[in-house]
Amino acid sequence: MQPAPADAAPQDRDIVALLQSGARERAFEQLLARYQGKLYRLCCTLLRDPTAAEDAAQESLVRIWKALASYDGRASLSTWIYTITRNRCLTALERRRELSSLSDAATEAEVEALSHGSDEPQATDDYALLRELIELLPERYRRTLTLFYYEDRSIDEVANMLGMPEGTVKTNLHRARAALTEQLRRRGLDDPRHWLEVHP
Amino acid sequence: MNGEDDVAAEEARARALDGALARVLRPPSVPAGFQARLQAALTRAAASEGSRAEELSRARRDQRERLAALDADYLRLRRRTLGTLIGGAFAAGAGVAVALPWLTANFGSNAVFVLAAAGALIGLAIGTASWIGRPRLPNLLGRL
Repeated sequence: MQPAPADAAPQDRDIVALLQSGARERAFEQLLARYQGKLYRLCCTLLRDPTAAEDAAQESLVRIWKALASYDGRASLSTWIYTITRNRCLTALERRRELSSLSDAATEAEVEALSHGSDEPQATDDYALLRELIELLPERYRRTLTLFYYEDRSIDEVANMLGMPEGTVKTNLHRARAALTEQLRRRGLDDPRHWLEVHP
Repeated sequence: MNGEDDVAAEEARARALDGALARVLRPPSVPAGFQARLQAALTRAAASEGSRAEELSRARRDQRERLAALDADYLRLRRRTLGTLIGGAFAAGAGVAVALPWLTANFGSNAVFVLAAAGALIGLAIGTASWIGRPRLPNLLGRL
């Protein structure tokens, strides 16, 4: 279990205090204001699909609302909330995998080939290319890198959201950047002036 | 000098990549209508939770009422049985008080035995009638 981020602690304490005083509705309102964006971003990162992410975030919040009265404070509030959300996303991914295994594999491969051609990015502009290179990163690197920028470069928040130690987040970030730099170098796009010229 | 240049170039490269990544990975904002849809989902969840709780409390109330009715029936039965016993005893006493002078006149010293025999016969008749009218027990032997 990860400890709550330092800047989040006072607000989480407020929510917990409201819960302890029995004001469940008010506590949930505060929780929603504080976490709904974060949960949606976490779901987007894990599921890569905005519609599925919205469904997962909503279902997670309903579960959190139902279970809020039984929150016992053993884990920090944020850890508890992120764990529920991650589990919901993992269930959605599992279901998606089962559904794709039921569909016709040959047809799927054909559609895949037509839509992507190959693993090589086909982007027309440099930022689109960078986006595609990020998509091709190993899943753990892609998730860490994406959330790092979504959460305003906060390593402890990313660690809490993904349920991993901060050291692992730093390692994943370093490896993700190294992989991207290597890919950009191969395409002659690693010169800083290039990016400054594209979008000053 | 070359080493320092390399470090500076590496730092500039890292900064440029960081800027480009920050530009590409802009946080998605919560979709419009998210709150309204969530509110609807919460209302549905609360309604289903409420109806389940209501069903449970109704079942518990029914159970309490049935138990109370059974208790009341049992008490009424016990009172009726007690009343019947006391009434029967008084009626028997009154019957004996009325019949004893006539029995003594006709049977002499055997009147007491005649009375006892008549009591025993009446008792046996009531017992036999109850036995015949008893609720049927399941035929366990027939199943073996």
